[in-house]
Amino acid sequence: MSDPAGVRVVTGGRAWRALAANRVAMAGAALLALLYALALLAPFLAPYGENDIDRARFCHPPTTVHWRSVTGRFGPFVRATRVADPAALRYVEVPAGELPLRWFVRGAPYRLLGLVPCERHLFGVAAPGRVLLLGADPLGRCELTRLLYGAQVSLTVGLVGILISFTLGMLFGGIAGYWGGIADVLMMRGTEVLLSVPALYLVLALRGAFPVDMPSRRVYLGIVAILALVGWAGLARVIRGMVLAIRGADYVLAAEALGMSRWRVLVRHILPNTLSFVIVAATVAVPGYILGEVFLSFLGMGVQEPAASWGNMLQQSRNLDVMVNYPWMLFAPAAAIFVTVLAFNFFGDGLRDALDPRQGPGGNR
Amino acid sequence: MRALVLRRLLHVIPLLLGISALTFLLLHLAPGDPFAAMAENPQISAETLARMRHDFGLDRPAWVQYLLYLRNIALRGDFGQSFAYHQPVARVLFARLGNTLLLAGAAALVTWGLAIPLGVLAAVRTRTWVDRTLSLVAFAGLSVPEVISGLALLYLAARTGWFPIGGMHSLDAGELGAWGRFVDLLRHLVLPALVVGIVPLASRMRQMRAGMLDVLSLDYVTTARAKGLPEPAVIGRHALRTALNPMITLFGLTLGSLLSGSFIAEFIFNWPGLGTITLEAIQRQDQYVVLGAVTMAATVLVLGNLVADVLLAIADPRIAHE
Amino acid sequence: MTRRKLEATRACVCVLLVMALAGCGRAPVGRSAFVDHNPLPPDTMTARMDEPGEHGGRFVVGATSSPKTLNALIANEQNSNDVCNLLYDSLTGTDNTTQEDIPALAKSWKWSSDGCTVTFQLRRGARFSDGHPITAEDVKFSFDVATDDSLPTVGKDGLSYVDPATGRHAKFRFEVLDSLRFSVTSPKPYAMMLSSVGAVRILPKHVLESAWKSGRFVSAYGIGTPPAQLVTSGAWRLSEFVTDQKVVLERNPWWYGVDARGRRLPYLDQVVFVIARDQNVAAMKFHAGELDGLDNVRPEDYRGYEQAREREQYTFYDIGPSLNTNFLWFNLNLAGSDTAGVRAGQPLVGPVKFAWFDNPVFRRAVSMAIDRDALIRGPFRGYAIKNWQLLTRGSRVWNDTTVTGDDYDPAGARRLLAGLGWRDRNGDGVIEDAKGNPVRFSMMTNADNTVRMDMLTLIVDDLAKIGIRVTPAPLEMSALLGHTRSDLRYDACLLGLGSASPADPGMYPNVIKSSGLTHYWRSRQPVPSTPEEARMDALFERNVYTADLQVRHRTYHDIAALMNQQAWFVWLPTQLMRLPVRARFGNVHPTPIPNRILWNADRVFVRRTAGAN
Repeated sequence: MSDPAGVRVVTGGRAWRALAANRVAMAGAALLALLYALALLAPFLAPYGENDIDRARFCHPPTTVHWRSVTGRFGPFVRATRVADPAALRYVEVPAGELPLRWFVRGAPYRLLGLVPCERHLFGVAAPGRVLLLGADPLGRCELTRLLYGAQVSLTVGLVGILISFTLGMLFGGIAGYWGGIADVLMMRGTEVLLSVPALYLVLALRGAFPVDMPSRRVYLGIVAILALVGWAGLARVIRGMVLAIRGADYVLAAEALGMSRWRVLVRHILPNTLSFVIVAATVAVPGYILGEVFLSFLGMGVQEPAASWGNMLQQSRNLDVMVNYPWMLFAPAAAIFVTVLAFNFFGDGLRDALDPRQGPGGNR
Repeated sequence: MRALVLRRLLHVIPLLLGISALTFLLLHLAPGDPFAAMAENPQISAETLARMRHDFGLDRPAWVQYLLYLRNIALRGDFGQSFAYHQPVARVLFARLGNTLLLAGAAALVTWGLAIPLGVLAAVRTRTWVDRTLSLVAFAGLSVPEVISGLALLYLAARTGWFPIGGMHSLDAGELGAWGRFVDLLRHLVLPALVVGIVPLASRMRQMRAGMLDVLSLDYVTTARAKGLPEPAVIGRHALRTALNPMITLFGLTLGSLLSGSFIAEFIFNWPGLGTITLEAIQRQDQYVVLGAVTMAATVLVLGNLVADVLLAIADPRIAHE
Repeated sequence: MTRRKLEATRACVCVLLVMALAGCGRAPVGRSAFVDHNPLPPDTMTARMDEPGEHGGRFVVGATSSPKTLNALIANEQNSNDVCNLLYDSLTGTDNTTQEDIPALAKSWKWSSDGCTVTFQLRRGARFSDGHPITAEDVKFSFDVATDDSLPTVGKDGLSYVDPATGRHAKFRFEVLDSLRFSVTSPKPYAMMLSSVGAVRILPKHVLESAWKSGRFVSAYGIGTPPAQLVTSGAWRLSEFVTDQKVVLERNPWWYGVDARGRRLPYLDQVVFVIARDQNVAAMKFHAGELDGLDNVRPEDYRGYEQAREREQYTFYDIGPSLNTNFLWFNLNLAGSDTAGVRAGQPLVGPVKFAWFDNPVFRRAVSMAIDRDALIRGPFRGYAIKNWQLLTRGSRVWNDTTVTGDDYDPAGARRLLAGLGWRDRNGDGVIEDAKGNPVRFSMMTNADNTVRMDMLTLIVDDLAKIGIRVTPAPLEMSALLGHTRSDLRYDACLLGLGSASPADPGMYPNVIKSSGLTHYWRSRQPVPSTPEEARMDALFERNVYTADLQVRHRTYHDIAALMNQQAWFVWLPTQLMRLPVRARFGNVHPTPIPNRILWNADRVFVRRTAGAN
């Protein structure tokens, strides 16, 4: 059961059962599944386009959904609003202006799942009116819409990030641990330097080197790459340690004796044995990327407007005035980040308990 | 032990060289101009700026600048001049390092002061509602971005008046006595330390819990219990000591992360530390200040690791001879 | 125990200051019994003020960042300047309310008949903060240092004559006539003479000469200098400086200013700059009563200040249009030498974009596409006005209301572009130029400025409506300046220009002249590249090298009109400034010119209200 690396190889079935029994972890997993589904279907679920600016509704508060109209008709509707105080950007409902919520309305065109051209949205109201369930931002853009589009960025930033950092980490850690010698020394000195430069400075300097007219999608990928570049070194060292231990194991020696190429031994026999650790580490690493993007946005270096991300939405509303007068702009992204990070931690924690009950660090960020 | 410390100290030199070279490279990758601030002054001419660049040696190739930088450190212990402050970098940074370490230390106190007792509690009451609530609260603390928790705490301070709103000293702290100044400093320290310290709490607590669980299942604990020792004595005198050993290493290793963790709090709470001045220096391309700050931070990090090793060696003599 | 003592002190103060009753009484520095130990100088300066005040108290103002140096001749950014402005005086000063030059260390000055030389008469008995007399030698020393080519001083370009033919700089002549008379001579009558002279702060020769001689001047009066060694010429001297926390100034007991009753100024015992980097922290500190005034408030925060005005007893001053402008421009720069794929002399944006950007019709169409009213309502929360020139309505002397540019007219913009043969041929929503190239480019702005970021987002939306696709490129400030000034690799940029001193067209040689560094759209031209550029240069020369104010106004009008006709800058709205200051202070007159609140700190006092002891 236990090998020299101290890596417990927990059989798949048992781990699954342990995970399934952990209600908190399963709740986390379900929540994550829901969040990712929302992000995937964002253009359809969002009533408007990501950058639909409404110059008549700067800082519009959330619209209330009413059920019983004056005429006695029953069904969800919102009321039209008018500006009550232009200086304070205060709005009041117009009692007569009832706008029934409609399903599958035509609106801003988009590509569903990035493929199917489509212009239906889950819900909406007749054109000059607007339904703003979470209110509007200072440029009159629908907060719910931006939250959903922002989820696409914020929820994938971690996945892409761990893909990069774990590939690097496993590769370098594996090579250093298995080959040893000069490669080991060089790589370990390299990672030491990377680890000793406070991540913050590394991030700031690299972010500054982006070209000006980089489109926001590429900026986003660049940011992920930076965060990943900061994250892989620590992992490489852990993997190296594990590989060092595993490489003396019987099955490795056997594979070598059979004349397998070293590369193949590494990929087929050694690295798979680090997998349970890697899976756990990856899960708890994701929130780090989400919060990393928030941090970069705080410094004005995250995903840039007009593209939405939870980080830049939070940064835009991180303001006393917003907190007091337009709280919806702050609470929406803050709640989204909180729930997601919490879900990842619950799930990761459960995963760790299941795969490797005694190992490793707790939550990560 | 001495050999271990010496070896590790020697090891630090190439490491710092690597770090400074990397930082230098990164600084020169980024576009920008150390005299950016002057650009806002429409009266200053191109010739004047070119002359200043020359005077500061900025018109030379990057590698020449780097070698000169190293030479000045080696020969004169001169870490360069700040372009913005027109002062030696060491003078600009030194007080800041102290402030940052103070904040980091206070944050560590928050983290460990909460993590150890709560971790033990969670282990002793494992799989009960106490355990679950503790982990829930710790995870919740982890999930709030510092940007928000900082703002929320500041707002709380502003509304209640219980704590000062940012800064490190009250305006009139100079008129208080030594004790008064100390209390004043503490009052300023509480909120930022809380923001920084709460982040790693969850993982430290989990580690403490796991370590404690391990120890509690060991034979000697069972023996102690069998002998009829009261439970508090078993936990406190026997189990806790063993369970703390791995945490000591971890403590040294996390010193460095506290340093960069305190950055956001420094900014939000107006704490005059290394992070704020470094950000400003990066933005102004004040390159020797950035280099100095990174080197300082890295040194603290490396020393933290060294302390961890030494502590571990003391706790477990086998390590020193490895 | 100690805290209780502090509370007791607070209580006493509260009795003295009625304001503190309502506020908080965080100021133990109460009304001190100020006793003037030093004799008044023979030539005092009677400060103009609404009402004579009382001595004592202090004013705590928020600053966004720590001063980097207290060396007035080296200081080159706002936070250092704000403090230095209080610590040091110049020969002449400015009355921020009238925006006129007024006497300071010089009690009077006289122009020579040819208009080239101005002779200053110094105040008799004026002294530095250490009691040492201020003489013409100190003045000469300060001017010599300010124009020392080996030092990174910022004022030197205003103190030399640039020959329009050769482009060569010739320094003005500085002469000590006697211990109280000093003259400055330029080769030609120079309209900016007094402002340039006024920009040179007078430093003590007896303290700093050795540092200058030994090449240590830049680091003198830095962050480590003990307050006692920092000898000043202004109304204040340094009491305490803790970097990134606070700067405490106290009364200079030797200053020459007096009130109408002949009592020595300043009234206040202390002026304190508290560094609050984050705007939220600054706002909370103000609301909590820790700060008495804020020098810089964002329009988005106005509502919050408006709401708490009564309760927290402060005045939320409306100080009118800012002197800072906002505008966007297109990059017309040519490569100086062969660089990364561009041959010397070729446009850095490439031939296609250059053809668009270089066309004034295109630039005017862009200007007509921008809905400025929406910019004002949204990003500025209604607190802005349209502006069409370098010197905004905040400049009483120079703003020319007859100058306007191309305002919002999307139909007109479309007509202009159609006239160029630009239209959407493939129906993708983006127009193509006559040769079929889709019109798309990027536009930079500094990401830390939310107002500019929001403006950019709205402008991108505006331009999309006339078929122009713009990619926003928010950048960190120094990276942005690296592009606008060093590598010149960008398409378009949205930025602004500020003005620290009283605005005057003569302050903008670098913007107006084709050879200037901040002549952003095409900087550092060896010779004017177009007849219009040559005309700008000529107009600027005529504006600056004359003593005739009428000529200056006419030429300024022509410069502003030409800039609009060419649309080199596409002008955007300018903020209406508002600042909160506690109501208990008297003689407060905030203005858009820095120091916005404390420019007349020597006259500000804590009002004794009826009912107080």
